[in-house]
Amino acid sequence: CFQLEEFEQIDFLRDRHVRFFQRTLQVLPERYASLETTRLTVMFFAVSGLDVLDALDVIDRNNMIEWIYSLQVLPTEDQSNLSRCGFRGSSHIGIPYSVKGPGVLHPYDSGHVAMTYTGLTSLLILGDDLSRVNKQACLAGLKALQLEDGSFCAVPEGSENDIRFIYCAACICYMLDDWSGMDIQKAIEYIRGSMSYDNGFGQGAGLESHGGWTFCAIASLCLMGRLEEALSQRELDRIRRWCIMRQQSGFHGRPNKPVDTCYSFWVGATLELLDVFQYTNYEKNRNYILSTQDRLVGGFAKWPDSHPDPLHAYLGLCGLSLIGEPNLRKVHPALNITQRAFQHLQQLQQTWRDNAGTCT
Amino acid sequence: QHGRVKIKSTAQQEEEKRKEREKKLKIYVAARDACFSKRREGVWDDEALQLTQQLLSSNPDFATLWNYRREILLHLETVREEDELQKIYEAELSFLESCLKMNPKSYGSWHHRGWVSARLPRPDWARELSLCDRCLSLDDRNFHCWDYRRMVVKMSGVPVDQELQFTDRLIGSNFSNYSSWHYRSTLLPLLHPESPEPPSPCQQLLKEYELVQNAFFTDPNDQSAWFYYRWLLGRAEREEMISCVYVSREEERVVVAFSRPVNVSAFTLIHIWNFVHFLTWTQICDLPPGTISDITNEHNLTVHWTEKHTHRDCALYTGRNESWCRDSATDQELFSELSVEKTSVLQSELQSCNQLQELEPLNKWCLLTIILLMRALDPLGYEKETLAHFQTLKEVDSMRSAYYSDLCSKFMIENTILKMEYAEVRVFSISDKKLTTLCHLDQLLLVTHINLSSNLLQRLPPQFAMLQCLEVLEADNNCIENLEGLYHLPKLEEVYLKNNKISKLADLQPLVSCPKLKHLDLRGNPITETTNIQSELAELLPSVTDLLKSLIH
Repeated sequence: CFQLEEFEQIDFLRDRHVRFFQRTLQVLPERYASLETTRLTVMFFAVSGLDVLDALDVIDRNNMIEWIYSLQVLPTEDQSNLSRCGFRGSSHIGIPYSVKGPGVLHPYDSGHVAMTYTGLTSLLILGDDLSRVNKQACLAGLKALQLEDGSFCAVPEGSENDIRFIYCAACICYMLDDWSGMDIQKAIEYIRGSMSYDNGFGQGAGLESHGGWTFCAIASLCLMGRLEEALSQRELDRIRRWCIMRQQSGFHGRPNKPVDTCYSFWVGATLELLDVFQYTNYEKNRNYILSTQDRLVGGFAKWPDSHPDPLHAYLGLCGLSLIGEPNLRKVHPALNITQRAFQHLQQLQQTWRDNAGTCT
Repeated sequence: QHGRVKIKSTAQQEEEKRKEREKKLKIYVAARDACFSKRREGVWDDEALQLTQQLLSSNPDFATLWNYRREILLHLETVREEDELQKIYEAELSFLESCLKMNPKSYGSWHHRGWVSARLPRPDWARELSLCDRCLSLDDRNFHCWDYRRMVVKMSGVPVDQELQFTDRLIGSNFSNYSSWHYRSTLLPLLHPESPEPPSPCQQLLKEYELVQNAFFTDPNDQSAWFYYRWLLGRAEREEMISCVYVSREEERVVVAFSRPVNVSAFTLIHIWNFVHFLTWTQICDLPPGTISDITNEHNLTVHWTEKHTHRDCALYTGRNESWCRDSATDQELFSELSVEKTSVLQSELQSCNQLQELEPLNKWCLLTIILLMRALDPLGYEKETLAHFQTLKEVDSMRSAYYSDLCSKFMIENTILKMEYAEVRVFSISDKKLTTLCHLDQLLLVTHINLSSNLLQRLPPQFAMLQCLEVLEADNNCIENLEGLYHLPKLEEVYLKNNKISKLADLQPLVSCPKLKHLDLRGNPITETTNIQSELAELLPSVTDLLKSLIH
């Protein structure tokens, strides 16, 4: 009897997680109000989470695709707002619902780099062919966000600028198969400048090393295809060492901090990209992630006995996928979507290239 | 989405909470709509300040509202007197303090505070520093606060040594303060900008060693001090250069090895050759037939790496079939992670660490550091101790034992390279050393014989193809299932792969591109169980004459 209980404690409750994400896509509790402006990212967590669980059939894909397109900030008739294009986080500004152009000029409406990133990935996951995405406008909007030092702001109005948004920009360019949206060399300089004395990466120059920012740095360089050019072998070895030392049971994001489920992905994926994930201890990692599983409502939390939330629910799944948990789709460690969605992207890109070839 | 611990409550409490929430929601939505319509109309008045304040109190991450507030403040700057502005901005700072109390990790709040501090007519930097002190005393890892503090220090011109003293205080009261060590690492180079290496070897450095030693002697299990220590001991990156040039009359080719993988876009060889590149440690240049084949001719080759403004000369003498020019790994101190300039300093550090190790034999950080120091001082001399320490390390930190095996393999390979150089031979032999991985293959360009038998290798990676001089490969008794690196090896004649895990014909495909291959030993591999294996092998590798013998069990 005691043995059965023990087993129940570490089994993976797939159906609960499917329902958790379904609920996320319907209604969120009031304490999530502060995420209103970034609602599209919450959708990404749920949709990609369902993809990892191979449960996309439980949602109405077409409806979602329409909603995402309604968030696209499209060029106006006279194209005067090109540098403000992209995707917005939700309808919180009050632009009337519309899925097609031309765009409506509104002084405070603009794309947000993280929303453009999650908007595009969500569309891909839902099976869309991106044909209604105004790629040139997105890239123009992206270009406008890059600063002299190579980092990106989130919105053209101005915001903090750091390595997170470089990652978003790299994903956007990678997906659209067009790097004209950013100055790669400057971005690489900023990334290099963010490397700390202990060979972790901070949010920017002089800032403390952190597992999340290290992921942004390495994943960006991989997407750009510049990992071994930008970093020497010695540096890569030290980055590996810093990351490997983050495993305590699960992973933490910085030395002397408690472990947190989401770092099983941030640090795990970084180690995978650096080809040393196989040196981590899968059992301890798995046990920690599952200890944060909410057995009643589904999802995962950052710590045991805490409330689950979409971000940790999604990244917990990704962390399990990295260690090969059965019945979970494999996740692409740089782009952070399933390999299935990634293959869909590759097919799309092949079609774009073929069409470009045949056009005169 | 910061951690929220679960608290149970009664049904009645739940109902009351729900009513509260609904009320708040109504007020919130009304305020938000009022705000937006005001902004749309371009209204920048006190009511607008009030409304945004209300909204931001409950949601400090609503970036648009901070932007609107900044617009209002900018407008007020044009119509109010300096004294009034001072009061307005001071009120802003108070408001921000209450926002930060509620959510000390809000990007919006910190960003706005930075903006306000920069615009205040009479800033009170001491007050800002004290805010940071209070914030850090509650959470000394809050990087938002650290970043803000850095900005304040910069704007107010606090001298670097004063900040160093600040870190002294923090570290003194609590050694386990990773953020303080980190901050210190950014301050030290500012004090000694002339030095190319971080930081310059001098009084300051010795003081740092003492400080960090106090830290890890006090709490040897805390990572902070160890990472900092490793940084102090470290050395600057080497210059990029051409590490080896090899010329062969027979293959009529020049092989160039670099100190790191390069993307060589325009490669000029003896003013003849430009050709396409890929990211690789070595570049192989095939010369036009007849260029160097006449053994009675002498040739002086120069390889230019134009991008890095460096070059290498190599002379191919009359009567000689091959020639080379190579940096010695020993002379280059290629494998030392640490700065070897001050051997005496490293000696004394090793002594201290050994002392600690006696007190704390199970401490992994100490073991790792000792290994590093030994490798810097005398890698060959300390080989036995290093292997013993790795054994302990794998027991003490078993979670990472695979990583340590890999690291140990790397060190053993480095030692073998050093021994090979000392013996001045072209034979690389490292058997029965529990090798789990291969590395530094770029250093083996000139090797003719390799013995990797009785190890734990699973593959011969693509970089193996750099071993352009290889004639004999012994790799019996491993777990090799993948031979992807054994392609285009022009001199390879004998390959011994007894007792490995080669399982299918496709695994042997790379060998087809090795024109001189005569002998192949596949005994004890799963592939020998395949039906018709003899005829299939004969078809795939017709010039391998010694195959049949290898299949007689």
